[in-house]
Amino acid sequence: MKVVVLAKYVPEPTATWAFEADHTLARESVEGRLSELDEYAVEQAVRLKEAGAADEVVVLTVGPAKAVDALRKALAMGADRAVHVSDEAIAGSDALGTSRVLAAAADKEGFDLVLTGMASTDAEMSVMPSMVAARLGLPQATFAGALSVEGGTATISRDLDTATTEVTVTLPAVISLTDQTDEARYPAFKAIMMAKKKPVETRSLADLGIAAGDVGLEAAGTSVLSIAPAPQRQAGTIITDEGDAATQLADFLAARGFLR
Amino acid sequence: MNTLRLVVGLLMTVVMLGLAGRRLLYLYRVGGAGQPVEPGRLGAVGTAIRAELVEVVAQRKLLRWTAPGLAHAAVFWGFCVLLLTVLEAFGSLFDPTFSLPVIGQFPVLGFVEDLFALLCILAVVAFVVIRVREAPRDQGRRSRFFGSHLGPAWFVLFMIFNVVWTLLLTRGAQINAQEVNTTDNLPFLRGAFLSQAIASLLAPLGQDVNEVIETVALLVGLGVLLGFTVFVTYSKHLHILLSLPNVALARRPSALGALLPVSSGGREVDFEDPGEEDLLGVGNVEEFTWKGLLDFGTCTECGRCQSQCPAWNTGKPLSPKLLIMGLRDHALAKAPYLLAAEQERDGLSDDARAVASVPLVGDTGYAGDPLAAYAPLGPGGVIDPDVLWSCTTCGACVEQCPVDIEHVDHIVDMRRYQVLMEGAFPDEAGAMLNNLEHAADPWGRGASQRLAWAEPLDFEVRVLGADGGDRIPDDVEWLFWVGCAGALDDQAQRTTRAVATLLHEAGVEFMVLGEAESCTGDPARRMGNEFLFQMLARQNVQTLDDAGATKIVVTCAHCFNTIANEYPQVGGSYEVVHHSMLLGRLLAEKRLVPVSRVDRDVTYHDPCYLGRHNRIFAPPRELLGAVPGLRLAEMPRAKERAFCCGAGGARMFMDETLGTRINENRAAEAIATGAQTIAAACPFCITMLSDGVSTLRPDDAPVEVTDIAEVLLRAVRPDLDDVSPPPQAARP
Repeated sequence: MKVVVLAKYVPEPTATWAFEADHTLARESVEGRLSELDEYAVEQAVRLKEAGAADEVVVLTVGPAKAVDALRKALAMGADRAVHVSDEAIAGSDALGTSRVLAAAADKEGFDLVLTGMASTDAEMSVMPSMVAARLGLPQATFAGALSVEGGTATISRDLDTATTEVTVTLPAVISLTDQTDEARYPAFKAIMMAKKKPVETRSLADLGIAAGDVGLEAAGTSVLSIAPAPQRQAGTIITDEGDAATQLADFLAARGFLR
Repeated sequence: MNTLRLVVGLLMTVVMLGLAGRRLLYLYRVGGAGQPVEPGRLGAVGTAIRAELVEVVAQRKLLRWTAPGLAHAAVFWGFCVLLLTVLEAFGSLFDPTFSLPVIGQFPVLGFVEDLFALLCILAVVAFVVIRVREAPRDQGRRSRFFGSHLGPAWFVLFMIFNVVWTLLLTRGAQINAQEVNTTDNLPFLRGAFLSQAIASLLAPLGQDVNEVIETVALLVGLGVLLGFTVFVTYSKHLHILLSLPNVALARRPSALGALLPVSSGGREVDFEDPGEEDLLGVGNVEEFTWKGLLDFGTCTECGRCQSQCPAWNTGKPLSPKLLIMGLRDHALAKAPYLLAAEQERDGLSDDARAVASVPLVGDTGYAGDPLAAYAPLGPGGVIDPDVLWSCTTCGACVEQCPVDIEHVDHIVDMRRYQVLMEGAFPDEAGAMLNNLEHAADPWGRGASQRLAWAEPLDFEVRVLGADGGDRIPDDVEWLFWVGCAGALDDQAQRTTRAVATLLHEAGVEFMVLGEAESCTGDPARRMGNEFLFQMLARQNVQTLDDAGATKIVVTCAHCFNTIANEYPQVGGSYEVVHHSMLLGRLLAEKRLVPVSRVDRDVTYHDPCYLGRHNRIFAPPRELLGAVPGLRLAEMPRAKERAFCCGAGGARMFMDETLGTRINENRAAEAIATGAQTIAAACPFCITMLSDGVSTLRPDDAPVEVTDIAEVLLRAVRPDLDDVSPPPQAARP
């Protein structure tokens, strides 16, 4: 079984980000990394290989030249090969454009299973697994808190607000994984050194048969109108009990519509 | 008779010394299987001689424990003096009235020899009492001898006793047996009070009988001594011989403070371009340096380390003594394999080959029995991972070891292999490493949060680069290294504000790096991730050098140790002081003046990385002493013997699931002093002790845990009790 992991190179979440005039991220202003949520997907893929369920783990990303850092991290974690789709024309793509490129690259690579994180830590849209599955015409199972693969099927458990459901899909399929799937490993230095020798193939849009005009900022179906930093979280209210704490608490909740 | 005793005596000597020599040669070859030592280990002759005088001759560390120390000193000095009687005994094989040249019958020698013979016997009695009182059978884990080889220890005492009584009997009988015709010849007729007393007891038996007694006692005595020598080379008592080189070759002043960089083949590993064959840490026993192997052979299982170890004292499987013993036993078991040529190894016994493939660190399945967590013959591992990861690197073991074994270095070297090569370490520490890598602080908060601590202050804190300049201006005297905890942890922020306020109050111009600061790398290094440490350290040194930093003040004991002692390894040398030192200077210069009484009982907890690792014991106490009204009560375990809070060695970022909690053990000791305030001088200690206190006394009278700077601030600026939120009422 061959597993392709879709991984995203994202700006450090704790760093301060800067943006270009067209509202795209100023890549030079901030360090990047493999999206933490995609690390869980890499981890599960590598575990499938270690358990003998998968023969090969290929990690796939669409991103700028520096995105190879994210691929190296995934290789250090245990992926076998990496594919890096990089093309000036892709810059500024929205989810629709990116999913087009990812689906085409995955399709060209060939796979039995596609794994990816539940969301990226920058845009946090969570739509990519579904979009890629739709473009590939494959079943999808999303927000998996646990994953098992047996024969030609994959089974996930999916934590919802009130229940945990079990979903089984026939392979090939696209599955997104949450941080509940267990810690992602911290690669040993030896693995980091070995990863430097693992193959990373670079592909252009032409390699994938995608016209430059179909992706990128111009072709995006969505547009960013403005960007503002999230407001600072306000300090909470501390009620000191002087005999009327319950009343104050009830008033606090009522004022916010939690009590009527 | 004289011929007989010469023949028997010489024969015994040749055979026994031959056996001992063969064994020593073998051990020397085993030691040679180790790696070369790092540069700088050899060649400090002056330091080595001084160490021999202080540690061996003067028995410095041993005498810190008065009763066992005096007993050991008596035996050590006794045997040094009795070496003269051994020479005399050998001489008398050839000539029954032999005496040492020049000294001859000098009565003072006779007196000193007999005096030390007596002291040796008294010391043996003392050792017997100590061993009975501290018997593991009664005391269990609390005994420092728990897990030591008890049989050989008793045998050693018995042999010392035998050496001394046969000697005295020989000397007594000799007085009656030999005609003394000149004052140059033995026996002693004056001074040797014990020998003379024995002689007067034996005199009625007549000269012939005494002659027989003398010969028999001489030969038995020599036999005992030679047999003891052979026994020593096969036992844990090798320290008699090995402590001399081990003390000479130890890191000085001690293997505390700075860790050594990762070395392979005696050269420092370049993590930016490591060699293909480079060993990163220690994964096999022969990957320790030969000095490491010498450490293992020198251990005499006295258990001083074990008695002080915070992990052992809280029911965890780690004992520095058992660790060293386990490594020693494994090295000896693996020796046939190590000494065999490559092509001969297949021909070794199954057992020998099986031992050779046992990993140093692996699951022993010890199930709570601490002795089972060490399995020198495998099969799972020589030591259990729980042993390796229980260490807080507090250095109490190194501090105590009378023969200068470097336990912490060996533990970190094994951790290095586990982390760098195997990627094997407690899962929860992975988040910390990831955070260091990505956010440059252990909690993953990121650089943008690093100035939040200064917001409540009513004065401006100068930040590097804020005025457009990228170097520290000339009017700034000190760079204040805030540290991750100091910048990001609620309680440590209070300390940071207190120090900043005091510096401001004293008119000291200081500056902080703000977002440019990163973790020093201490937790990464101490859990074995040298690669990450090197990255962080080089980046910080670059930042400091670019800023033109020369004088740095630090509030965190770990940051202090790393910047002061370890950054020189990566090219950064600065004048680094802990805030206790700088505030002390400002008090002495009257730039800070305590104006208000702080009527409190206070106890002071020595942070390991300030105290033991850097010998800064006095400045924090002097600072507290300068606060009017404050009453300082010491804990029983203070200064060199201070008990760790449990946070060092990156333990701060790991779950403590084994045994009882170290921080609660220490907090209980602090509370028992009756103190209302537990003062410390390191943010990690403060966090650990606060947690300990709140667990132990959830509803009781409040005991606050705070930094010494906050205590001082109350005396200097009583109006400012509120530079920061008050101590949490819920956390007494």
